[in-house]
Amino acid sequence: MADLKTLVLGRKEVAELDDEHELPHELMTVNMGPSHPAMHGTVRIVLTVDGERIVKGDVQPGYLHRCFEKEAEHATYTQIFPYTDRLNYVSPMINNCGYAMAVEKLLGITAQIPRRAEFIRVIVSEVSRITDHLTCVGASAMELGAFTPFLYFLKAREWLYTLLEEVSGARLTHSYVRVGGVGKDLPAGWLAKLEVRLTELEAVMVEVEQMLNLNKIFRDRMAGVGAISRADALAWGQTGPIGRAAGIDYDVRKDHPYSVYGEFEFDVPLGTTGDCLDRYLVRIEEIKQSMRILRQAAAAIPDGPIMIDDGRVALPPKAAAYNTIEAMIRHFKHVVDGIKVPAGEAYTFVEGGNGELGFFIVGDGTGRPYKCYVRSPSFVHLSTAEKIFHNHLIADIVPIFGMINMIGGECDK
Amino acid sequence: MSDQTQAPPAPPPTHVTLTIDGKTATVPKGTNVLEAAKTVGIDISAFCYHPGLSIAACCRQCLVAVEKNPKLQPSCQQVVGEGMVVHTTDVASTTARKQMLEFTLVNHPIDCPICDKAGECTLQRHYFEHDNADSRIDTPKVEKPKVVDLGPHIVLDAERCILCTRCIRVCDEVAGQHQLEMKQRGDHEELTTAPGQRLDNPYSLNTVDVCPVGALTSKDFRFTMRAWELDATPSICQGCATGCNTEIHHKDGRAWRLVPRHNPEVNGHWMCDEGRFTYADLREQRLAVATVDGLPATWDRAVKTAAAKLAALPKDGGAIAVVLSAQASNEDNFALAKLAAAWNAKLFVAARPERGERADGKLRVADVNPNRAGVAAIAPTAADLTDFEIGVNTGAIRAVVFLGHDLPVSETALRRLREFDCVIALATHERGPVKAAGIALPIAAWAEAHASVTNADGKVQRMHAAFAPPGQAVPGWEAVARLASAVGAKVAWAGARDVWKDMTATVKPWAGAPWGREVRPLSLRFAGSRG
Repeated sequence: MADLKTLVLGRKEVAELDDEHELPHELMTVNMGPSHPAMHGTVRIVLTVDGERIVKGDVQPGYLHRCFEKEAEHATYTQIFPYTDRLNYVSPMINNCGYAMAVEKLLGITAQIPRRAEFIRVIVSEVSRITDHLTCVGASAMELGAFTPFLYFLKAREWLYTLLEEVSGARLTHSYVRVGGVGKDLPAGWLAKLEVRLTELEAVMVEVEQMLNLNKIFRDRMAGVGAISRADALAWGQTGPIGRAAGIDYDVRKDHPYSVYGEFEFDVPLGTTGDCLDRYLVRIEEIKQSMRILRQAAAAIPDGPIMIDDGRVALPPKAAAYNTIEAMIRHFKHVVDGIKVPAGEAYTFVEGGNGELGFFIVGDGTGRPYKCYVRSPSFVHLSTAEKIFHNHLIADIVPIFGMINMIGGECDK
Repeated sequence: MSDQTQAPPAPPPTHVTLTIDGKTATVPKGTNVLEAAKTVGIDISAFCYHPGLSIAACCRQCLVAVEKNPKLQPSCQQVVGEGMVVHTTDVASTTARKQMLEFTLVNHPIDCPICDKAGECTLQRHYFEHDNADSRIDTPKVEKPKVVDLGPHIVLDAERCILCTRCIRVCDEVAGQHQLEMKQRGDHEELTTAPGQRLDNPYSLNTVDVCPVGALTSKDFRFTMRAWELDATPSICQGCATGCNTEIHHKDGRAWRLVPRHNPEVNGHWMCDEGRFTYADLREQRLAVATVDGLPATWDRAVKTAAAKLAALPKDGGAIAVVLSAQASNEDNFALAKLAAAWNAKLFVAARPERGERADGKLRVADVNPNRAGVAAIAPTAADLTDFEIGVNTGAIRAVVFLGHDLPVSETALRRLREFDCVIALATHERGPVKAAGIALPIAAWAEAHASVTNADGKVQRMHAAFAPPGQAVPGWEAVARLASAVGAKVAWAGARDVWKDMTATVKPWAGAPWGREVRPLSLRFAGSRG
């Protein structure tokens, strides 16, 4: 350890240390995780500490590795949707949309997706974004000792999960989006229910913000902790709330509008200091902006089909599949061989809950991808964790890690 | 620079050049438009056309527009001409082909979920890729018999039949027997057996392969396994010395069927029914564990016991007989012959007796050993089993090491063999003389190892491992290497490729033969080639 100590002391300004006044001490290695309440999503951090001060925090992800990319090479394009649900499992709808867009780009049908389907995709994506941020903020507050905001936010999240369950049939792993549209239409009266829940959510937001925004304990734990400069954030490829907290004005929805995002008015909140408090504030503001988008989309959603009218991409209606040989063959080919996607490659990226979520697909003309790569923002963000931890106290890991919002499923793929 | 200004070299006079959808194709004279289109990557749908059969042009599914020709032409029958201009994507021919598919589907039953052909069905593929339109018919479908027993191996579902007549032509042209016919007309047309005939010939199951739908199904395969769940591995038929190229269709370590693989030099598109059923033996009476005196033993104990028994024999090796097998692969025979040379042992070759009634001048020959030519090349001086029997009876032979379970010798000789102290079998199956052997070592069968066999024409053909051998069985050459190391002989290889290199360096006729590409099982579901 002597070498490491020399190395570390060399990195830290040696002049600041006053050896005569410090007690004799040794560096110590402490395991944080993989089974630790604050290490959500199962990650291990091997801390080398100098007293309470972190000298090195070796982040070791991979405990939730499910071979997403390899599995995708052995499943049809449609069968991959359930795998994408399990990437960022607090906002699965966004993963669904991002993946579907990549396949659609490869098929060259992006422009033919029905407008109603695009609106529904935006609506479910924004509801998912809210659930993502509610989870992140609520859990982080709880880990800092504020249990009430957690309960309030989780209550609100459950309202939204119930709404998504009504749409998709599943509370968490929705598998709702399809190549060419969405699986089923919104249930009758769903948009009215959404509006009721949004109004209730506004009240919850006020309650929680009152408890946190000016709370001295919360601010002391968050402000100035885990700051990253704009230049560093850029260099490390930070996007999403973390990048924006550091002042990077980049939101895929704004800068590369996909789907029908170009038709909505919303603002992209930016931070100035890039610390944990800014990340928190950006997320709180994004929840409000998402609600703004939801209200505009709910007002403007057109009637019409929710699936592309193309026999090569859309499954036939069940009644037709059971009663005509044509639809039966089509159904069979879809399910067994998969949608025939031409050879080629496509990359699409959407604004995920945590940042730019990209899917890169190489097709070889069969019903399954030759390669399916996912650019998961959590993985990119976690790679900076070691740099951010440096020189902080052990207790600071909790807010920093909470605000990085590493989602195991997405980071480990 | 001058090269660039020169015109491209003119095609040889045996070829003609034509234009298909704006693409230029140069093909041999006499080729049809359908095949010419394939050479430039254009897939024209067709049902009745099969490259191995005569042209019927009765399904009208391959209609294309040929310029200066007032009517659409069936591309399977239309022979290419110099300067011909063909369109396959114009409105007229596309509509014609789409409408043909619609007609074909009018009376097709909604059987995909229970149909054995589903997943490798030509009708499914063409509909999905070339039509994909909704049904416009609401009249009841014409009903026909669903289960017609045509012969010993095949059942007909007349409703599924799309009347392409491929099966009739297979019987006429491959088997040379007119056993199938069409009866009635229009939408009452139906496949049936010819008067006084059954569908019973040695090549009958080829009709199942060429059937573009699930009308003809094999009794052996139907309702056992879904086609799309199978993996395919190229192999060689072990039924006789012809060495038909096959594909093993297997799943989870079990073979479900054999189908022919196209090889114009050996078997064309076909294989015989008898060969197709050879896969069944892969699961019967297999020797999965080494045995010593009839009881299971570890490999270690078995080879050590063998070594001890061999060590007790005279050192000159004259008392040891090594029997190669015309049923086993080149690699296994080569390995054992090499060990025999290290011992200076006498070499013999065991082969199954010829069956003269099989020879038909087509694919079936009298020699039912897949590798007689290979063994002859490896061990040209090896004697046949007549000398072996004399040696056993006179006591000149006192120890036997044999490959495989076929040791066609007289009962007397077998009885004497049982009294021998040292009989070592390297066998795939626990049968006949293997049961009598003091030591039996389990080896991989033909579907389980990378190996090669040599057919009657001397063509060395490669088989690929489809799945793992049962229990503790290892490839034959590895069993030989284990035995060799126990007796201190310097015979060892690192892998199948190593054996191949050693063999091609030693056996003169195969000098420098390439190892080729190793093939892994391919999932039929995503192969996109069948149907």
